[in-house]
Amino acid sequence: MITQLVNWFRRKKLETGLERELRYHLDRRITDLESSGLPTGEARRQAFMELGGIAQIEEEVRDIWLTRWLRDFAYDFRLSVRSFLRIPSFSITAVLSLVLGIGATTAIYSLVDQVLLHALPVRQPERLVLIDWRGDQVANGFGSWNLMSYPICRDLDKQKDFFEGVFCRALTTVNLSTGGDYRPAAAEIVSTNYFEVLGVGPAVGRVLANDDDATPNANPVAVVSYDFWETQLRGAPDVVGRKVLVNRHPLTIIGVAASTFKGIDVGQVPSIWIPASMSTQAIPGFKGLLDHRTRWMQVLGRLNQGVKVQEAEAGLQPWFKAMLQEDMRRAGFPVITPERRREFLNSSLVLTAAPQGHSSLRRRLLEPLWVLFAVTALLLGLACLNVSGLFLARGSARDREIGTRLALGASRGRLARQLLAESLLIAFVGGLLGIAVAPVAVRTLIAFLPPGTAPTALHVGVDSRLLLFAFIASVAAGLLSGLAPAWQAGRRSLMSSLRERGGTAFGGVRLRKVIVTAQMALTLTLVVGAALFLRTLDALMAKGPGFITSSLVSFGIDSQRSGYSTSEGNRLLRRIDAAIRQSPITEASAIAQFPLLTGGSWNDPMTILAEKRISTDRDVNLNSVTPGFFQTLGIKIIEGRNFDERDAPAPGEQGWRSAIVNEAFVKRYLGGRSPLGLRICEGSGPDAKPNIEIVGVMSNFSYRGLREDSEQAYFPFFEGEDAGGTFYVRVRGTPQSFLPSLRDIVHSADPTLPMTDFRTVDEQVDRSLNSEHMLATLSGSFSILALLLSLVGLYGVMSFVVTQRTREIGIRLALGATRRSAIWLVLRDALAMLLSGIGIGLPFVWALGRLVESQLYDVKPSDPAVIATTILVLCSAGLGATLIPAHRASCVNPTDALRVE
Amino acid sequence: MKRFPIPQGTLDMLILQIVSLEPLHGYGIAQRVDQISRSVVQVNQGSLYPALHRLELKGWLKSEWKESETGREAKFYSLTASGRKQLAAEKHSWARLADAVRLIFDEGAR
Repeated sequence: MITQLVNWFRRKKLETGLERELRYHLDRRITDLESSGLPTGEARRQAFMELGGIAQIEEEVRDIWLTRWLRDFAYDFRLSVRSFLRIPSFSITAVLSLVLGIGATTAIYSLVDQVLLHALPVRQPERLVLIDWRGDQVANGFGSWNLMSYPICRDLDKQKDFFEGVFCRALTTVNLSTGGDYRPAAAEIVSTNYFEVLGVGPAVGRVLANDDDATPNANPVAVVSYDFWETQLRGAPDVVGRKVLVNRHPLTIIGVAASTFKGIDVGQVPSIWIPASMSTQAIPGFKGLLDHRTRWMQVLGRLNQGVKVQEAEAGLQPWFKAMLQEDMRRAGFPVITPERRREFLNSSLVLTAAPQGHSSLRRRLLEPLWVLFAVTALLLGLACLNVSGLFLARGSARDREIGTRLALGASRGRLARQLLAESLLIAFVGGLLGIAVAPVAVRTLIAFLPPGTAPTALHVGVDSRLLLFAFIASVAAGLLSGLAPAWQAGRRSLMSSLRERGGTAFGGVRLRKVIVTAQMALTLTLVVGAALFLRTLDALMAKGPGFITSSLVSFGIDSQRSGYSTSEGNRLLRRIDAAIRQSPITEASAIAQFPLLTGGSWNDPMTILAEKRISTDRDVNLNSVTPGFFQTLGIKIIEGRNFDERDAPAPGEQGWRSAIVNEAFVKRYLGGRSPLGLRICEGSGPDAKPNIEIVGVMSNFSYRGLREDSEQAYFPFFEGEDAGGTFYVRVRGTPQSFLPSLRDIVHSADPTLPMTDFRTVDEQVDRSLNSEHMLATLSGSFSILALLLSLVGLYGVMSFVVTQRTREIGIRLALGATRRSAIWLVLRDALAMLLSGIGIGLPFVWALGRLVESQLYDVKPSDPAVIATTILVLCSAGLGATLIPAHRASCVNPTDALRVE
Repeated sequence: MKRFPIPQGTLDMLILQIVSLEPLHGYGIAQRVDQISRSVVQVNQGSLYPALHRLELKGWLKSEWKESETGREAKFYSLTASGRKQLAAEKHSWARLADAVRLIFDEGAR
């Protein structure tokens, strides 16, 4: 088999070899015969006769070299190329359809592969598991998902029956300097066995070793990423031993991580790895490293060779239950209700395979990307059907050629194979061009990804996995497009095709109608999907965040990461706030402790003291803001009052005195009656002391994102409380031009203080809608393409039908039928296809609805208006495309039509 | 004596046997075959070359271009190790078949 493929490439050499061999044989034979006395001519004749037909021998030997099918395939292939070159318009249309389909599918697959499927570049990633706590941890925390405490990670690391090792990590942003300016940089705080458990080595120096964790706070070392070393340290060979400043604390670089390793989160590439013992330096003010009740790290482990996930999960439970009991007896364990205690004791550990690490980007994109992948797969299917239709159309033009070949003894299988070879050829050309356009498409796609995704996280290049995918997609597309024509060739009646005259052949019209019907069904699905996503985006845009975004800019300042103490930092922030408010460019300015519309929030359950104690049944989103906040953002105080000097804490007093809650809070927990004067507090246990007075009610607005209408409670941002926050500034005029002035103000307060995330709030709104934008834009353009493709298909088949029925229409007209009835004759045909396509498509619409439901907002997947509009658009566009052939039918001249015969 | 056509598959065996004695070019093999066929079986020379190429592809024969006895370059075929094994196997199975046939006839004669 392999030899035969190789032979294909050296067939020239084989040919000359065989020719020389046979020539030698003949010459020797002639000489021998001559020497036995035959005359020259007679000797030649006899030599040739003995050998038999030279051409036949050559043919037989060729069959041996290449095997029959390979030769046939080569001939088919050559014939296909020639026939395509003969009709370039056909080939170009077919190839373009497939480039579109394969290019789009490949591009989306590139993201699916990188974000969802690709395993980490570490030793045996299939043995990695994510360990998570199911149940109530009775703990405070911060961070994204799957969080546990540092001590539990150290305990898990000792469970050597199951794990080779268990490490933990937390992602944070630090102010990083290599000697010059401070810049915000992504950092991963890790237990020191991180590199060892993952099996990642150094490129330079060494990575963290297990002993680096020995004493908290006394281990000022760091490993930098290869990328950071190359770009920020210019690849300095003497990098080991240098110092970097992390939030103004010097750390000694001990090494550079391997170049392929970019952390365990596909969207967030850390510049630096800091041992957990230095967490206080990396997260200013953090003191929870050794606290069992502070959850802030993701815990991942490497299973022992041969240990299954379920085995480890089950095997860990006895130890875990004992640990829960021990936890309860530990000093500092909070006082909780019996109900909550039960929940705590019922907790269990959950292990999930994590060969791709842990990524919040993956979590956010999981569904949108699969939806898009399904959409592009549909588009590819549609493109294939289009090519199928084109082949059938061309097939009817080639009817006589094929009929003649059948009559001359070509087998039907051979003809079908020839047609399949043609569609495969088209598909491969489409696939190659698709791969060529894929990087451009991927770049466009990456622009849609959530903000905060590291620019180096995803690559646009074509790798072997992508090539393999494109190859499989091409083969599938080729087979799919070739199937119908090949089947048609196989069942063609030889007699009828020879008897019929050119141009009036049957030509698989019925099959083409089936194809167009299928296209309509797919198009309906895609257009409904796109309409749903557009409606979602539209609804979210129309809803807005609930405050006025124009001329509003925001930026963050974290003074603690620049070495300020809490009280100094707080004073600095207030100084900056005052300076901004005095500037002539600003209308209003305020500080919020946590930024809005970033997807995250500070949240906690609360206790309300009304006639009875009420514990909230879910987390309330919390924030603390300066009094100017509501005015700056244009948020109405509906009832009660804004924060003012009365809310400032008395000297020596801890915590807040007052809070403002939103309408949703009042509606959910107080049935809409006035909350003024009621007291609330953070936390829901029996030890919670509701001592904060509700002084006002604010209108609802978005905190985490536009979709949510959550309960919120805001506290005053006052002296001494916080040292970091996000500034909201309403400027006079267009916001972008004010960055330099604002920067000047901040720099005059402290020239080294970095401003992070400077942007307009409009921009922030857009960013928070990025996956909705992505879905709406892409599915919208895909469905327009789909509509065009299927309209071309419909137009093609109807034109053909009209040509084919010219004579019949002529006779009808001659017998007195009206022109209108001729038009109706054609439209009726098209309508039948459209309606049956819609009928077939509706179940698909339903299935798609199930898939995308969670991505929608304010619209049901079965929204009758959306579906009805789509059907209307599809029908009118379809009938529009049919009007041209229908008009031609009405213009048939009966005399001419009959003369065609 | 009337010559009978060579049985299916026997040509391959014949070629292997001839080449096993010494490396030989196509014409030489044809002559040997001819000597045999003149006395016993009839071989169509046209089927010789396809057979040679088939055996080469199977890896039982190998070939090289060498100067022949007339001084011209000719393609010489020789037996490979696996060809030698194949020939032995064929000889063996042939002998068993022949024994079996003889037994059948002996049975009839008794």
